[in-house]
Amino acid sequence: MIILLFSIQLITSSTAFCEEVVVAVHKGTSVISPISRYTLSAIFGMRSTTWTDGTAIKVFVLPDDSHLHSLFCKQILHIFPHQLRTAWDRLVYSGTGQAPIVLGSEQEMQARIASTPGAIGYLPKETFDENITILPVE
Amino acid sequence: MKILPYYLWNSTFPPLVSNFAYCERCRKPMSLSFKKYFFKRFIIYIILFLFSLTTNAFELFDSVQVHGFASQTMFMTSGNNMFGPSIRNPSFAFTELGINGSWSPLPNLRLSMQLLSRRAGDWHDGSPVIDFGLFDYSFEFDGDYRLGVRAGRVRQPYGLYNDTRDVAFTRPSILLPQSIYLEGTRDFTISADGVMIYGESRKPWGNLTLELFGGYARTNDTDTQFSFLYANYNGSLEPNPSFVGRLNYETYDGSLRLALSGAYTSMTYNPSNAPLPQPSKGSISFNPIVLSAQYNTENWTFSSEYQMNYFQRSGLDNPLYATTQGLDFDLFGQSYYFQAAYRFAPKWELMARYDAMYPNSQDISGKTTEFTSLTQSALAQNPFYYIPAYSQYAKTWTVGLRYDISPWMMVRAEYNYVNGTAWLPAEGYLGPDGNQDFSKTVKYWDMFGFLVSLRF
Repeated sequence: MIILLFSIQLITSSTAFCEEVVVAVHKGTSVISPISRYTLSAIFGMRSTTWTDGTAIKVFVLPDDSHLHSLFCKQILHIFPHQLRTAWDRLVYSGTGQAPIVLGSEQEMQARIASTPGAIGYLPKETFDENITILPVE
Repeated sequence: MKILPYYLWNSTFPPLVSNFAYCERCRKPMSLSFKKYFFKRFIIYIILFLFSLTTNAFELFDSVQVHGFASQTMFMTSGNNMFGPSIRNPSFAFTELGINGSWSPLPNLRLSMQLLSRRAGDWHDGSPVIDFGLFDYSFEFDGDYRLGVRAGRVRQPYGLYNDTRDVAFTRPSILLPQSIYLEGTRDFTISADGVMIYGESRKPWGNLTLELFGGYARTNDTDTQFSFLYANYNGSLEPNPSFVGRLNYETYDGSLRLALSGAYTSMTYNPSNAPLPQPSKGSISFNPIVLSAQYNTENWTFSSEYQMNYFQRSGLDNPLYATTQGLDFDLFGQSYYFQAAYRFAPKWELMARYDAMYPNSQDISGKTTEFTSLTQSALAQNPFYYIPAYSQYAKTWTVGLRYDISPWMMVRAEYNYVNGTAWLPAEGYLGPDGNQDFSKTVKYWDMFGFLVSLRF
């Protein structure tokens, strides 16, 4: 299963990675699906703190230099990792917000989203977990 | 009216200018020794080191976060002391340490506080101060809107960089563009005690944020007195209600950011009871407006800001205090910079900037204000009766290189070529070659800087 998660499809005659990343939320999170890109930007920019039912949003990310994080920023959010970092720093060091929780690996990301109510993060497209809902983005 | 250094009005030699470093805040001679400072703050370094080992935010509970930063800068100049005796000598008298914690007991409520130890030249001695300490309550409605209130000691919403100006990781260079983020007025501009209301709208075409603050600025420190009175008199500078606001527009992908910030600030000088030569009770107001723009691509960031400010002093003239010129004036100042940063390889960034500052738009060449015609014997008697034209402007070229060793450690090297001394902080060095004696300053000068910074 895990090997399947990490499997990388190589495009013929090219060394470029063609991997897909999806937005994942804890099962049963009250969110309008599909989610708009600008709402998602506000969530990962740590400027939106509650879901529509009032539960706290818990944002999980991978380190700035990880491949999946970079892929998520560019493919889904249409933003560059350095801009997201700038936005978080502005909140953290001015007392106006908190940073997302940085996890060490994709497995940890999957486990934390599955076990934390209100959690949101991202995973490789092939991931399946009964406690995780894949959130389409429009 | 002209900008004049304080000593033109001082009939007596101010006690500030002495042959040894003197800390005005703690009223005792101060050591510039890095070693002594280091051991005095040893515990803070240990804590920061332990935290930095975690390389990440320190997560105590789900809702509590602890972050921090530590920066050490070395400056070396060809002339004019910058934070310590830096002329042809490496000066390490610029250290920034900060630690902050935030706690969200409820999703909509957050409490946060930051302690800061800042040592800069001879006026900031590194004593820890509460940099910000606030509660923040906000609520979201219709999915796209957020309204909130912050109260306590709150960061001032001003321009692109004021919110996090002590954190080297968030700065585009070792020092922020001085024309707008003047070191001399740092304490005055960074945070203030009061209440802020804010609102945010999120739409497909971008985010609009409006922040409005009302409260009292931090005025009664040496820096602020010197920046607005050009001297450190024995009386006190009391804040009057001040207002600061910023309207910020940002595309949701962060590629474009535009901001309009403005402030109305006011202070009252209360003379001391002692029969000292000093101004009468009077008011000082400083009202700046700044326009900011930033454009981001994957590898480039372009930033530019323009500031105009109205600086007024009234009621300070004292018939019993003989001065060469009056103490009251109305000044209109302008400043701006253009800046580009290029991330040419992962972990590497190159930056270049042109920065210009004219505190008095009526006299951008400084020729009207210039006062250098004293005879050699008169100058020898009091070397402080000297105002060069170049003290009325500053044009600065900066190039810098940043390397991120890891996400939590960064080094930066920088070169500045400066024409003029308008932004040179008076807290440079109080020794015999201090900046406060303008006859010891030079018009054209180079400044080399090197910085190491950690964060978690």
